[in-house]
Amino acid sequence: MPPTPTREPVSSPLESFPDQVLSDRAADGDMRAFEVLVRRYGPLMRVYASRVLGSNDEMDDVVQESFITAWQQLPTLENGAAVKSWLMRIVSRKSVDRVRARRQHVNIDLTDAPAPAQQSPHRLAEAGSQTEALTRVLAELPEDQRRCWMLRELAECSYGEIAAELEIPVSTVRGLLARARKTLLQEMEEWR
Amino acid sequence: MTSSDALAGHTFEELSDYLDRDRTPADPSIEGSPECQTALNGMQRLRSVHRDLLLKDAQRESEREDSWVSSILQHISLEARAGRDIPISHSSPTARLSVTEGAVRGILRAAGDSVPNIIVGRCHLDGDVTEPGAPITVRVDATVLEGEIIASLADQLREALYAALRQHTELAVEAIDITIRDLYQPFVPPAKASSDE
Repeated sequence: MPPTPTREPVSSPLESFPDQVLSDRAADGDMRAFEVLVRRYGPLMRVYASRVLGSNDEMDDVVQESFITAWQQLPTLENGAAVKSWLMRIVSRKSVDRVRARRQHVNIDLTDAPAPAQQSPHRLAEAGSQTEALTRVLAELPEDQRRCWMLRELAECSYGEIAAELEIPVSTVRGLLARARKTLLQEMEEWR
Repeated sequence: MTSSDALAGHTFEELSDYLDRDRTPADPSIEGSPECQTALNGMQRLRSVHRDLLLKDAQRESEREDSWVSSILQHISLEARAGRDIPISHSSPTARLSVTEGAVRGILRAAGDSVPNIIVGRCHLDGDVTEPGAPITVRVDATVLEGEIIASLADQLREALYAALRQHTELAVEAIDITIRDLYQPFVPPAKASSDE
């Protein structure tokens, strides 16, 4: 049943609702609220997936699967205000699963993963800039360090959440993050 | 890792952890050491370069066409949220009419949205809604615009919810309990707009 058209409260369009309200409403079946969450966090989730997958062509699938899972599991999310890092953890998991599945096929399909699909003229013109260099260095980090770094800096997870997600002790998270930062910093010093 | 001598007796790991704690409580042995400051500033710069990169990447993603959003929405289903069937009487003895619990929650949200400055979140129908005439308690979570008078908004909301339920259902509503869970700030345009130069 479409919502009865009512006086739209001008001061607070749905797009401006806090995460807590949007995820509560989506948990109750409000598709419009869910759509706002998709638009709010979808782009960041796509960035996340493309960094893990190293390519754009599987990104749409992974992000779509993540949102379908999120829709199904939203009623179990206790703290709707934490929906952002919750979504990021879902896309992190799905992306890593995809990479693992890809590895299992490596014997059959020897073609390399396509080059990062960010080779538009615009991106190439930027090459050499700090952000471009950071993208490159990030891609070269050891996988455990990169996952820790991304859960921390993209997903904004706490150390405890990262530890639970990766099934490692908090002390290991602390160590991996420090090592990732140190490597990235050393590389950054070289660009200056 | 770096010999800790160069970092006033601290390891790089301690500094990284300190940064993630937002440098609180302030540690004078870190704040007072030029070497530690250099390392912390470096990490801070790394973070800000990374934020720039993220912003750019996310911006590019949000500028892509919308087809991926609609494709996601096509793949989700409301069935999972339908809940119980709530009977509605009909003059013909052979007709069976019902409305789903999910639809009633939708009615409650829509009614709530007609009251400005208060937003309805989760809604629960307590009681046996499948039994005509059974006493029902409606529980609603709501969020209120900062600075509003909570009691009067809650009353307006309760009125609107009663009216909508009377109009669309035959539920014997005994009470509507409203819990104000949070306050929200007035709408501020997204940060994206402010980065136009």
